[in-house]
Amino acid sequence: MNLRVIGANLVVDIKSFYREKTAVFFRIAFPVILILVFGTIFMDKDDLSFDLCVQDLDQTKSSAQLVQTLTGSDRFKITTIAPDLNAAQYAKDHKLNLILGIPAGFEKSLMQKMIIADPDASFALTVVYDPSASAVTTKMQVLDAMLAVANQKLSGKPPFLHLVKTSILAKKYRFIEFFIPGIIAMAVMTSCLFGAVNVNAELRQKGVLRKLATTPITHTDWILSNILYQFLLAALATVVILLVSYAVFHVRLQINAWLPVFVVLDVFAFVGFGMILTRVAREAESAAAAANAFMFPMMFLSGTFFPVEMMPGFLQKFARILPLYYVNEGLRASMVSADNTAALGYAAVIGVFAAVVFVLGIMTTTLNEDRT
Amino acid sequence: MTKEIEHVIEVEHLTKRYGALLAVNDLSFTVRRGEVFAFLGANGAGKTTTVEIIETIRTPTSGKVCLFGLDVTKKKREFIHRIGVLPQGFNSFDRITVRETLQYYARLFGCRNADLDGLIALADLKDKTHEQFHKLSGGLKQRLGIAVALVNDPEVVFLDEPTTGLDPHARREVWAVLLDLKNKGKTIFLTTHYMEEAEFLADRVAILSKGRIVALDSPGHLTESHANYLVLTLQAVEERASEIIRKMGFAPVQDNHRNIKVRLERADDVQKILNAIQASGATFRGLDVRKPNLEEVFLSLTGEAGREDHAGGWGAE
Ligand SMILES: Nc1ncnc2c1ncn2[C@@H]1O[C@H](COP(=O)(O)OP(=O)(O)OP(=O)(O)O)[C@@H](O)[C@H]1O
Ligand SMILES: [Mg+2]
Repeated sequence: MNLRVIGANLVVDIKSFYREKTAVFFRIAFPVILILVFGTIFMDKDDLSFDLCVQDLDQTKSSAQLVQTLTGSDRFKITTIAPDLNAAQYAKDHKLNLILGIPAGFEKSLMQKMIIADPDASFALTVVYDPSASAVTTKMQVLDAMLAVANQKLSGKPPFLHLVKTSILAKKYRFIEFFIPGIIAMAVMTSCLFGAVNVNAELRQKGVLRKLATTPITHTDWILSNILYQFLLAALATVVILLVSYAVFHVRLQINAWLPVFVVLDVFAFVGFGMILTRVAREAESAAAAANAFMFPMMFLSGTFFPVEMMPGFLQKFARILPLYYVNEGLRASMVSADNTAALGYAAVIGVFAAVVFVLGIMTTTLNEDRT
Repeated sequence: MTKEIEHVIEVEHLTKRYGALLAVNDLSFTVRRGEVFAFLGANGAGKTTTVEIIETIRTPTSGKVCLFGLDVTKKKREFIHRIGVLPQGFNSFDRITVRETLQYYARLFGCRNADLDGLIALADLKDKTHEQFHKLSGGLKQRLGIAVALVNDPEVVFLDEPTTGLDPHARREVWAVLLDLKNKGKTIFLTTHYMEEAEFLADRVAILSKGRIVALDSPGHLTESHANYLVLTLQAVEERASEIIRKMGFAPVQDNHRNIKVRLERADDVQKILNAIQASGATFRGLDVRKPNLEEVFLSLTGEAGREDHAGGWGAE
């Protein structure tokens, strides 16, 4: 190992990186854009607060109180409309998918029930809704649940059956917090795979490796420089991704020693994999195509963008043979659920994969023209 | 040990196969310290294959190759810093500038005080010092490649087609650089398609054809011993002269500038032809009688065209 040689290679790599705008875009900006886009799309879902329009035709103290209760629940953002309007027409005109109506006589019925304590007394609230709108079903379910609570309060009897909820996660996590570890794993994978393919196929095809074979640089120094450069890039991408996530989405993630462990394993696994690919597909273009062919299924099927549990059974089984799955799950185990045992398990699987692939990669990579 | 001083490169029964193709067929030759040695051969003759085996880029199928008396397949680490290589079609990192490229290779060789600016001046790249590699023209890339080959002040310089793609000026500048290196006592191993390059630079030329050396000698001796005939050139000659010469039993070749070349076995044939033309009253502007040049030797030895732009023409200078 020659530090001077490795240093010289790093200087060339880093200069080439920041002078190549597309490289900066795909390795740093692209994952950040993904986070911003997906984070923003799914942000609302995390809050689960719906717009609800209420028309109070009763206009009494009791009806006002009911509206107040709905407002206070923070599941709904309430707007009210004047009692003299036609609710259905108003919904159409203003593109509202649901209007809750409190018909006149609400207070009267309520008083009757309270005073006479008639167990069969009931009162109908009306709902004007657009069945073609997708959010309506969820909204009505939430509304139903809230009315159930209100009914039960009125009857004064506690429910006999009720659920006690215990999350298997240390805390409630949001989609974005699920998403960030996946993006880190993906960004490191693409960067390494393409880095390895670029270095080993393109430079070979251009004859740069032939020239290097006539200099004192050794095979080991060459591979070490590449790995080191990929580490630097991976670390940079990870830091940028985390900074953006904290700044924009105020994520709460566990940053501990597992993070560098998984990033390092990710680097070794996919640099090794890239080196093997370049040996199999000797032309630079076909090697890049082969890298894409592996990367895209890996990105979509290994749980980068959505949980593997959401996929059909056979795809879930398939996900378990994808190396990226173990990086994803490992990073989530450590960063989201702080589950060291699970993280260790995933680290072991990807660790073995990385070791095997990397050794094979070293064995198949040469500076020389041919190996006959 | 004296052998090592004498011959910096020794090749014995070198053979290289690519599958069924025998690219280099039982080559043996030596290169002496301080000489300019040229490989002359057509496309696919095996020049690059041979040179790259010596440079350790490729591995031989069989045979023995020694550099400074060291086996190239085993002792690479011991001599690699003593050689400089310009591979065929030199290429480098796209986004790295001329100066940074030289600096990079200087670092690989551990040459702290390499004279980068001197090398840039030598390659005539001064105003391109901070240009990125991918923005250089083909000829400038090639010249940078030559400078890179010299960055470690090597004892032996390998140049695989150093002037291919250069304009005539740049080519002569490179020749001047190479002659300068030779005067400094460097050994130069050159491959080329250009006969005049080999003729101008080389102390000895090996003519390579289909993986074999068909002749190896100084350019002078090669022309001397492989072509004992003369070439008569008549410039701007009248059409009918050609007919007269043909009738005398010679084979004149006419180019599209109304020049006629005739290959003559004996010196007194010159007089005969001139007499016949004068008798017929045909005129010509000038004439030239000379020994055949290396290209003609090359063509007669290999029986194949060297390069397209030289093929068919006799002694294009
Ligand atoms: N890596 C390779 N694999 C298979 N065949 C090869 C390889 N390299 C060269 N050859 C073949 O070996 C022969 C010699 O090639 P080489 O490159 O040594 O020729 P050359 O004299 O340098 O030609 P040129 O003047 O075109 O550079 C050619 O027929 C070529 O096709
Ligand atoms: Mg060649």
